[in-house]
Amino acid sequence: MILPDYYEFCCRVKIVAGHDALEKIPALLAEMGSKKPLIITDKGVAAAGLVDIVVNALKEGVTIGGVADNVPPDSDLKVVNQLAGLYRDNACDAIIAVGGGSVMDTAKGVNIVVSENATDLMAFSGAGALNRRLKTLVAVPTTAGTGSEVTLVAVIKDHEKHLKMAFTSYFLLPSVSILDSRMTMTMPPFITAMTGMDALSHAVEGYYCLQKNPLSDAHSLAAVNMIHQYLPSVTKNPADKDGRLAMAVSACLAGISFSNSMVGIVHNLGHATGSVCGVPHGICMAILLPYGLEYNMHKRGETIAELLLPMAGEEVYRKTPKAERAEKVVSLIRQMNQDLNEITGGRHARYFSEVKDRDGKQMVPREILPEIAKAALLDGATIYNPEDQDYEENLLVLEAAWEGKPLDRNKIKKG
Amino acid sequence: MNLTNGFAFTCPFKTNSGNKALEHLPVELAGLNAFKPLIITSRELAGPKAIGTLINAFGDSGMTIGVFDDVTETADLNVVEQIREIFLKGQYDVIIALGGGIIVDVAKILNLAVSLKVADARQLSPATAIRDPLGPFVVIPTAAATGMETSKYAVLSGKIFTSVHLMPGLVVLDPRLTRAKDGKTVAEAGFAAFGRTLEAYIAPDKNPFMDAYAFTALRFIRENLASAVNKRCNKKESLAVANAVAMSGCVISNTDQNMLHRLGQVFQNTVHVHPGIIIGMCLHPFLDDCMKKDSSRIASLLLPLAGDDKYAAMPEAGRAGDALRDLCEFSYEIYRSLKGKIPRTITEAGIQQYLMKDIFDIINQEPDGAYLRTVIDRVGGSSIKA
Repeated sequence: MILPDYYEFCCRVKIVAGHDALEKIPALLAEMGSKKPLIITDKGVAAAGLVDIVVNALKEGVTIGGVADNVPPDSDLKVVNQLAGLYRDNACDAIIAVGGGSVMDTAKGVNIVVSENATDLMAFSGAGALNRRLKTLVAVPTTAGTGSEVTLVAVIKDHEKHLKMAFTSYFLLPSVSILDSRMTMTMPPFITAMTGMDALSHAVEGYYCLQKNPLSDAHSLAAVNMIHQYLPSVTKNPADKDGRLAMAVSACLAGISFSNSMVGIVHNLGHATGSVCGVPHGICMAILLPYGLEYNMHKRGETIAELLLPMAGEEVYRKTPKAERAEKVVSLIRQMNQDLNEITGGRHARYFSEVKDRDGKQMVPREILPEIAKAALLDGATIYNPEDQDYEENLLVLEAAWEGKPLDRNKIKKG
Repeated sequence: MNLTNGFAFTCPFKTNSGNKALEHLPVELAGLNAFKPLIITSRELAGPKAIGTLINAFGDSGMTIGVFDDVTETADLNVVEQIREIFLKGQYDVIIALGGGIIVDVAKILNLAVSLKVADARQLSPATAIRDPLGPFVVIPTAAATGMETSKYAVLSGKIFTSVHLMPGLVVLDPRLTRAKDGKTVAEAGFAAFGRTLEAYIAPDKNPFMDAYAFTALRFIRENLASAVNKRCNKKESLAVANAVAMSGCVISNTDQNMLHRLGQVFQNTVHVHPGIIIGMCLHPFLDDCMKKDSSRIASLLLPLAGDDKYAAMPEAGRAGDALRDLCEFSYEIYRSLKGKIPRTITEAGIQQYLMKDIFDIINQEPDGAYLRTVIDRVGGSSIKA
């Protein structure tokens, strides 16, 4: 096990997991001296009946200070300020965020406003602007993927000024994350598949990116093991409670890994594809992950090979010659995409050319790839990727990922 | 790993480890809104060189630093009260503990006293309610650690304070401070961390978050402890052991499986023997018993101990035996290279008969006291009739 010359690792979030973890919230709030939480969520989560389950679990000893279900899919400064007003008006003393990435971002933004008594959220953007504890924030993720229940980042958009504000601070970490199998039980198979592959991309990129360290590694290995074991089976059998819990736990482990070791080319090109074509993040991750591994193979072959044992078990590991283990990892991830594609009746896309919107229209036309390759140059995730990227290389990867062909590694400029 | 029953896990500290880690302190403290640290340490136990290195790391940060460097092995709540007055008078806003063992225990209770704003630290007891997070607290372990510095426990005059809020918010591991004066010190800390994490790792109720820390700590100790004991000049290996020791504090704070730890604690509190010595000697009888109960748990140890290739190459039926052999080789190498500097039995530790009586009295009060006694008997305790 390699000890880097220098590393930092932190995840202060208390993790509470189980089939009845939600019922622990009242006691946890009491431990932290909070009595009146504001529940922040979105309409989709509420319509799925998940908020009702949370509210039911809070019956004992907690006065709910309000349920706000108006978080938009894209975080919005206006909503942050409105919810902060609601928090104050109802004299709340904690926030329970029930949802995915946007809900978590919004809740973190509200927490800054109410804790710092801020009128201008912008004053707290960037790194290091927060330097004291915020109010109690309980995160209840409803997808097993983003890991935002354990990340220290929030992105809030000011749609009027066309500004995207990024907030980074250890103080933004939720106080507690609740991983409860009931929160993901109703997730449809194709969403289960893509969010699970999002989690896998965190675990894998976290394992090969530049800021990796022994603790982020251990979290990645555990996540890779569980995701490979459970994702296809849970996608097939959505009612598998134990599998759902395992996926929630592994997405959290993966979130801890990548928020410490950061992410690379898969996220870089994925962010760009998302912003140019509106492809859901998890789909981008699933499609690009094998290519990220191939792109970095010449620099991280041995590291990638270490993923084989947790992924495939000792028999496959033993039978695969050492020199072929890294490539075996890539082929196993491709196989996962293939399996998920079959399980979801083709809804889980394997290549960009397969991604279609609700009307069956292709979302990533081939001619748009140069625009994505260009947009990716502006995304910060390249900093932590082991191999440098430029426009031509971005395009090379995108073309391959569009066609679904393995990457021609001879064409990578080896830096 | 069975997740069905649910679990909770927490590790409130951030780890900064490696070259010039100390030099990051001013930025870290400013991020906590803290600008006037009081360093709690001991000239005798941590050494003037370590204190000098820490103070120099603040360079031209402009921070005013206070130093209390007079913590002794026998420090009690009176000492905490003495430092509390210094803290308040000097208007310090963050506590930095430099060293291991009692130094950190004193600093933890000091943090409790100043955070709860008690009028006198001597009012504090293990019954004191600790509901909210305490003030900013940094631990900088030296090689002379017990492994409990990063844990939720603090022990003062035999009284055990327990709260996750006692854990530090930041742990700084700097290779200039984690090199030991002698191999014995490294081995003691290493054995203590090894035994505690091993017991948690093979526990049936472990969870994947705690497991990540336990796995990393076990592998680091297995790969580095012998070299760190033998070649103390090797900074990297000592730092790897110090990392594992820090991780063990998180592990022990998140498990109920702590028999080896409790045995170590009883001897430490009663006869001031380093817990690592007791844990090291009890490891083998403990593992023998585990092997009889459920060998599959011992088998799982082969992965962190021997690495991926050896683990995968060994058929399942042979893994437990291999893990035990590996453990024997590992501890034998360390004992051999220390040439008797670390006792291998209670008899060698030279614990007086009348003190053994006290120890057995405490052990008998534990729910599993009868079993603990059999472990002590097998490491020479029976030859000392209490």
